[in-house]
Amino acid sequence: MEIDSCTIIKSEKPQTSVSSSPPEKVHLRPMTISDVDDFMVWATDTDVTRYCTWEPYTSREAGIAFINDVVLPHPWLRAICLENDRPIGSISVTPVDKIRGEIGYVIGSKYWGKGIATEAVRLVAAEIFKEKPEMERLEALVDVDNVGSQKVLEKVGFKREGVMRKFMCLKGNVRDMVMFSLLPSDSSH
Amino acid sequence: METPQNMISSSPGRIYLRPMILSDVDDYMVWATDSKVARFCTWEPCTSRDEAIKYITDKVLTHPWLRAICLEDDRPIGYILIMPVDDIRKEIGYVLARKYWGKGFATEAVRLVTAEIFKEMPEIERLEALVDVENVGSQRVLEKVGFTREGLMRKFICIKGSVRDTVMFSFLPSDILK
Repeated sequence: MEIDSCTIIKSEKPQTSVSSSPPEKVHLRPMTISDVDDFMVWATDTDVTRYCTWEPYTSREAGIAFINDVVLPHPWLRAICLENDRPIGSISVTPVDKIRGEIGYVIGSKYWGKGIATEAVRLVAAEIFKEKPEMERLEALVDVDNVGSQKVLEKVGFKREGVMRKFMCLKGNVRDMVMFSLLPSDSSH
Repeated sequence: METPQNMISSSPGRIYLRPMILSDVDDYMVWATDSKVARFCTWEPCTSRDEAIKYITDKVLTHPWLRAICLEDDRPIGYILIMPVDDIRKEIGYVLARKYWGKGFATEAVRLVTAEIFKEMPEIERLEALVDVENVGSQRVLEKVGFTREGLMRKFICIKGSVRDTVMFSFLPSDILK
């Protein structure tokens, strides 16, 4: 079993960035407007957006608007960065209600299959309940066909609770979704 | 039937469903004041007739889809309702006076509604139910009707200050009623 190690680095920015050891040197930090060109790399990729509710972005202006309107005001969203501190994806925890949060993540397809998403989710799972002590449940909804993302959550220690049939409308199609959860009392690995 | 959309009955016709009216208040109070009935509900037991009248007026009569479950004498022994979750999902809920538990009435009511609701609301892709993990009686009702038990959602809902594990059930238009 991998040792869950992460070092908290205090940065100049008000929020902390969190980094990890092998397999890939992944760290999380807040996103800024200057990340827009890196954002466009994954946001324009149809492989990446396949299971997302949103369509691929087609203009830099739309990317800037998204960062201004959604990313910057988001209660908890982080860029996923490798050693050069440039984002290759993002991860977020969005409140569902007072006790539930939903995790979501997206990674550029060039970086798939390297354990990066797993590491990013692991980093969030290790910190989020301390940051949000009122959260009783961190959940994730994954398209039934998105096996790669299901494996990420299983590797981190989320519990697969079941398949919710015809649960969500994704780009006009009603999809079956797998529900996962992690509780503060679970040990993530 | 005088009002085909609003009245649904079962064969052999033990119960039928109709809209609730204010004069149902005394029958309503039989289950609404019962803490054993309220145990897995989000609401606290009702403590006065005035409170009951207010609740029926403000919440029951205004509800988008709620029906009294009645025996032959037209007196309600509970109610069943459908709540919108979003454009494609609806949630079913029901409550029955304790005296009538264990006789199959809830099962009949759920079966009646499930048999009709997709025709009435063709936009529904999914009818779901959330049942407290300890509410085994209600889980059995849904299983008997043919709902699929999809899984246990841990720490899913806060009921009266406690965070509860909840079982998720669903019924799709393509499923077979039992």
